[in-house]
Amino acid sequence: MRRGAAFRLRSGVRAAALGAAVIGLTGLGAASGTAVAQSLVADLSRTQIDISTGFAGEELLLFGATEGKGDIVMTVTGPRRDQVVRRKERVAGIWVNGESLTFRDVPAYYRVAASRPLADITGPKTLDRLDIGTDRLELIPVEDRPAGEVREFREALVRNKQRLALYSQDSKDISDIRISQGRLFRTNIPFPANVPTGEYLVNVYLFKSGRLVSQTHAPVLVRKAGLEAEIFRFARERAAWYGAIAIAVALLAGWLAGVIFKRT
Amino acid sequence: MQIYLPIAEMSVNAFLLLGLGGGIGFLSGMFGVGGGFLMTPLLIFIGVPPAVAVATEANQVVAASVSGALAHWRRGNVDIRMGIVLMIGGFIGSTLGVWLFTFLRGIGQIDFVIAVSYVVFLGIIGVLMVVESTRSWFRSRNPMAPRRKLHYHNWLHGLPFKMRFRRSKLYISALLPLGVGVFVGILAAIMGVGGGFVMVPAMIYLLGMPTSVVVGTSLFQIVFVTANVTFLQAVNNQTVDVVLAMLLVVGSVIGAQIGARVGARLRGEEVRIALGLIVLAVCARVAWTLVATPDDIFSLGLGGSH
Repeated sequence: MRRGAAFRLRSGVRAAALGAAVIGLTGLGAASGTAVAQSLVADLSRTQIDISTGFAGEELLLFGATEGKGDIVMTVTGPRRDQVVRRKERVAGIWVNGESLTFRDVPAYYRVAASRPLADITGPKTLDRLDIGTDRLELIPVEDRPAGEVREFREALVRNKQRLALYSQDSKDISDIRISQGRLFRTNIPFPANVPTGEYLVNVYLFKSGRLVSQTHAPVLVRKAGLEAEIFRFARERAAWYGAIAIAVALLAGWLAGVIFKRT
Repeated sequence: MQIYLPIAEMSVNAFLLLGLGGGIGFLSGMFGVGGGFLMTPLLIFIGVPPAVAVATEANQVVAASVSGALAHWRRGNVDIRMGIVLMIGGFIGSTLGVWLFTFLRGIGQIDFVIAVSYVVFLGIIGVLMVVESTRSWFRSRNPMAPRRKLHYHNWLHGLPFKMRFRRSKLYISALLPLGVGVFVGILAAIMGVGGGFVMVPAMIYLLGMPTSVVVGTSLFQIVFVTANVTFLQAVNNQTVDVVLAMLLVVGSVIGAQIGARVGARLRGEEVRIALGLIVLAVCARVAWTLVATPDDIFSLGLGGSH
């Protein structure tokens, strides 16, 4: 994927490379005022994450520039899947899975970062509309349950995802986007080793005095690569062959071990 | 060195797995057991999803058993006829077991059933082993004590379809070994073990087989049954991780060779007492996960479609 090209700018400013964009922006901004006053450009250090043999998680760098001062909010949303949440119950002294609730199209990964605490940047309505903040994420259960119960399962979902480092911590006191010189911003997006594969979407928003003035987004592809991908695909698509080969390799390894150690 | 496991979808230290394989291999070589019943819980403790741990361990047991089975075969310690009857039972049992496994996984109870199976079987086997070997240890110090009969005749010997098993010097109903095979097959599929720890006592005490052919015949059928489990798990659940299995195999075959040499120098009863205590320790550890209040009573299940 070509760098930079993935970002669509609402204001219409397009740049082939970020360097050019930043220079262009500052130049234009100085010259023509309001036309580009809402501009926001951003880019990622990579737009693809390859999970291969040595993969132990990866961090992407999101960086960009704004025209004039403002607040930056970023969200990263992973591929959506139905997610079952189970509650354990104590039966005769033993913990057993009991009630469960399935949520529809839950992002497998969700991360939010901002240059200031979200509540200081804009109002709850805007945050809700843009799905900004783990506590505002729209999670809809597949079946009707009492509100209190849904809330409990919902909180559990977020909490468990956070424990797996797949959701970022509560959005109340984040300020992990650093802004330098008033208009350059940067933040790291950590993808842990257990990151689910699929298409991710990075959204970047520029707010000025509580109002959303510009936004841009870019996809990130997380995929298995190399031998890992081959093995995984083979296991899925040719399950019978995979099983047969797994057995054959095990038989060979066991036999070989017997032969080698008998000699020594 | 971190290595990403393609099916378990996690990153683990390769040396940890090699060490785990080596350690369990050492114990299995020393005690003459497959080691699956120790390896599967350990894999689960380090975070491998239980479904993957069980299926992968079946694959590893294939490798771990085959060299032993071949060695016994060459020495003529395999009762082929008995092995085949057990194997047929094992095929039926493991097929049922994998089906049950897939079903339980779907309704979210597989982890619980795996844990309960471990507690029940390790508990029973561990206690029996410790009691039996402690007794024989005392007996060996007091040679005047009367020796017990090897096996007793009961209603089990009145079952139909009698077959003659020459190597085992037995004339018993084929239903008996078939039933044992089915039972062990189910365990193999659900617990990710070869089932030797159930098979061997069943052969000695239930079928009355002479000890000389017990281990060889047990290994012979374990190879086939775990191969069947590996195949069915791969087809039904896609939970066999070959990268994980191979790392464990490399560690365990080396460990097993060293363990076998050390084990040969130890006294039989003491080795069995030690093994019994290890079995009970694993049992207690798994039991703890069932009764201890979890950090979070909520957990995330498998994702659905898309």
